[in-house]
Amino acid sequence: MSEYLLEMTGICKSFSGVHALKNVNFKVRPGKVMCLAGENGCGKSTLVKIISGVYTKDEGEVLFEGKPITKITPAEATKLGIQVIYQDLSIFPNLTVMENLAINSEITAGKKLVNRKRWEATAKEALSKIGYNIDLNAKMGELSVADKQLVAICRALLFDAKLIIMDEPTTALTKKEVDALFKTARQLRDSGIAIMFISHKTEEIFEISDDVCIMRNGENVFAGPTAELTPQQFTYHMTGRELTDDHFIPKNVSKEPVLKTEHLTLKDKFEDVSFELHKGEILGITGLLGSGRTELALSLFGLEHPKEGTITLNGEQVKISNPIKAQKLKIGYVPEDRLTEGLCLQQPISDNITLSSLKRLSNAIGLIKNQDILDDANIWKEKFSIKTDDVRKFASTLSGGNQQKIVLSKWLSNDLDVLILNGPTVGVDVGAKQDIHALVHNLANEGLAVIIISDDLSEVVVNCSRVIVMKEGRIVGEMTGDDITENNILDIIR
Amino acid sequence: MLAKIKEFSSKNNYTVMLLALMVILLVFFTITKAGTLWTVGTWKGIVMQFPEFGLMTIGVMFCFISGNIDMSFVALGDFAAIMAVRYMAAHTAEGMSNGQVAGVILVGLLIVTVIGAIGGVINGVLIAYLNIPPVMATIAMQLVWLGLSTALTQGYAVTGVPSLYTEIGHMMLFGFLPVPLLVFIIVFAIAAFLLKFTTYGKKLYMIGTNVKAAKFSAINTKGMIIGTFVLADIICCYGCMLMVSSMNSAKADYGTSYVMSVILILVLAGVLPDGGMGKIFNVLLAVVSIQIISSGVNMFSNLNPYHASLIWGGLLILVLILSTKFTGGGFKLRKSPKKNK
Repeated sequence: MSEYLLEMTGICKSFSGVHALKNVNFKVRPGKVMCLAGENGCGKSTLVKIISGVYTKDEGEVLFEGKPITKITPAEATKLGIQVIYQDLSIFPNLTVMENLAINSEITAGKKLVNRKRWEATAKEALSKIGYNIDLNAKMGELSVADKQLVAICRALLFDAKLIIMDEPTTALTKKEVDALFKTARQLRDSGIAIMFISHKTEEIFEISDDVCIMRNGENVFAGPTAELTPQQFTYHMTGRELTDDHFIPKNVSKEPVLKTEHLTLKDKFEDVSFELHKGEILGITGLLGSGRTELALSLFGLEHPKEGTITLNGEQVKISNPIKAQKLKIGYVPEDRLTEGLCLQQPISDNITLSSLKRLSNAIGLIKNQDILDDANIWKEKFSIKTDDVRKFASTLSGGNQQKIVLSKWLSNDLDVLILNGPTVGVDVGAKQDIHALVHNLANEGLAVIIISDDLSEVVVNCSRVIVMKEGRIVGEMTGDDITENNILDIIR
Repeated sequence: MLAKIKEFSSKNNYTVMLLALMVILLVFFTITKAGTLWTVGTWKGIVMQFPEFGLMTIGVMFCFISGNIDMSFVALGDFAAIMAVRYMAAHTAEGMSNGQVAGVILVGLLIVTVIGAIGGVINGVLIAYLNIPPVMATIAMQLVWLGLSTALTQGYAVTGVPSLYTEIGHMMLFGFLPVPLLVFIIVFAIAAFLLKFTTYGKKLYMIGTNVKAAKFSAINTKGMIIGTFVLADIICCYGCMLMVSSMNSAKADYGTSYVMSVILILVLAGVLPDGGMGKIFNVLLAVVSIQIISSGVNMFSNLNPYHASLIWGGLLILVLILSTKFTGGGFKLRKSPKKNK
């Protein structure tokens, strides 16, 4: 028996001439948590798909429990004990927890009739493996992401998994849920199962992993115990450049507030919210999911309508009835979910960038020249270094960070007083994250008033000159300057 | 050169497919019925017939691009036509000058326009403000309009169309351009202009792709959807008025089969009800292709007329299979947005 559960050496894979993986080597030890880290597009997913048998490798050698494996198919991978929990979790949202847990083994066993007792037994057995309690008759689609994930893990364990691969499992989880997930992961690790955890979040990787394999541009640039690395080295390996943590210090904050809310109340969402926003500052609004932070932002953009309280803009009391009115009042909003709220993915980058400024680009009767759209889009492409060779390509062809830059340019091509960013770097890799932060700093220094809404505390700390903490719909704390630290915020939030 | 052609065909797969389809159809009918196909009469028939459903196709195309669907347009158009014909019949009399009759006809067309707009507003409000799924809302409205027409006419055809109206409808301008075709060309040009050169067209495609993102981009999505249904339904009502001129009457259930053929033509042209895609030029090609099939089938005079539907349907299935293969699968074309990491 080999020391390693899975050994991969010299793995190469190319798609129509483009190398996705170049000579990748890595090893997974049984009973350890191994992290596969890297920015978007570095080949992490391709590697996972080779392990699970979705793709076939071009070159290289794979050893599982010391035995060479020449051809992996998805069915064979399952038989070997490799289970992949993909980001979308591959669950049936319309079925119950019990049905989801039992269905795979029922099908594998070739059962044709439903026996409720047997299904229940299978489901209970699965849950008992990690000592997890949940209503077996709950509809899967109604569970939280965290619960869905645990059910998916239980399902994987039914197949005597030796290696569980989790593809970015923490993306949609709150801090508490991440802790719960990690606890389960450690429990599994201690029972001898190897866990491969795919992520690009530095803190999480240091918290959970024993070994780490860092990939960049299809090559693995580091493989070894996590303890050998410092977070700085880790980031360097991942991005290929040194990153510095600059705190944002506002240069010219206006005396008069540009935006002021007083006793703003939206039933069941937030209550008695009063704050001021000045030009040139970056105000952070943070709080847990459900603290009312998003609803507050939507109220400032005309998509929620608080019944009580007032919003004052440049000294004048205003009523923001819809986004069109917000745009007229020079308020821009970069939404939380870029894919469903921010972009028309299957449309050109250029049309996405200019969507909110068509009025400016057209003449009095609404005629518009395609060339004007392209020219305008190219200006933003240069300004924000959006990585594409042609702005006529679909927005879906870009990576998360570049997509976010499109959404930003869409609003910045309007003349704005206030820019609200809700989760500006969710799902954006480290390098692009820095770019976006630098961009926002510049905008604030040019006189824009910026609100960042985020539950990524490190982001809030690095970017905001003032922070408001919300809890259960109320403002529970405010801090400025050096008082803004993750610990201070956590003290209030919890 | 070859590379350029390749690039063009990969970007315009629907256009290439439809052109190929047209050539194949023409070659097929030339081989089998050269004598009948290449006559003035056949082509006159073709250009006289397609403007009716051609107009409706252009109208519904706007709904499709916006990510909606309209099932009510024929019923609405029939109702509008019935009201217009009733008005025209009541206000024309023997011995009126052509000028006077023309005035009555214009008022009739105005009635059609207003009813089309009302129908569009109702569809739009049901969908945009009351959030009823477009298929449901417009099927229900189809029944409402059909019911109104039937109640008004007891199911009989409404006659008394001024002869001037049918004469104009059958007129050949400059000896070769039938008036219905001219109407089609004008509407086509306006529609193409709207889609290509106006902010309305740009916004329409964006709304069709992701209405939520459009709303977050300060686009008046509700207004856009209502406006689009108004535009679409007015155009469809004019399509029904072309039917009036060829039938010399209006009836509650004229052209009901057009509902399905219009949807089919649009899908064939790559304008899918998912929204946000499709080119108007391809719609033109698809309209003409379908008309060629239909006229072609009619040329086989020895065919049992009771078998016509069967042959027509079989041919359509064949065309759809081939086109789906060639274009990479109509409805599957749009994948759900990819999850990003």
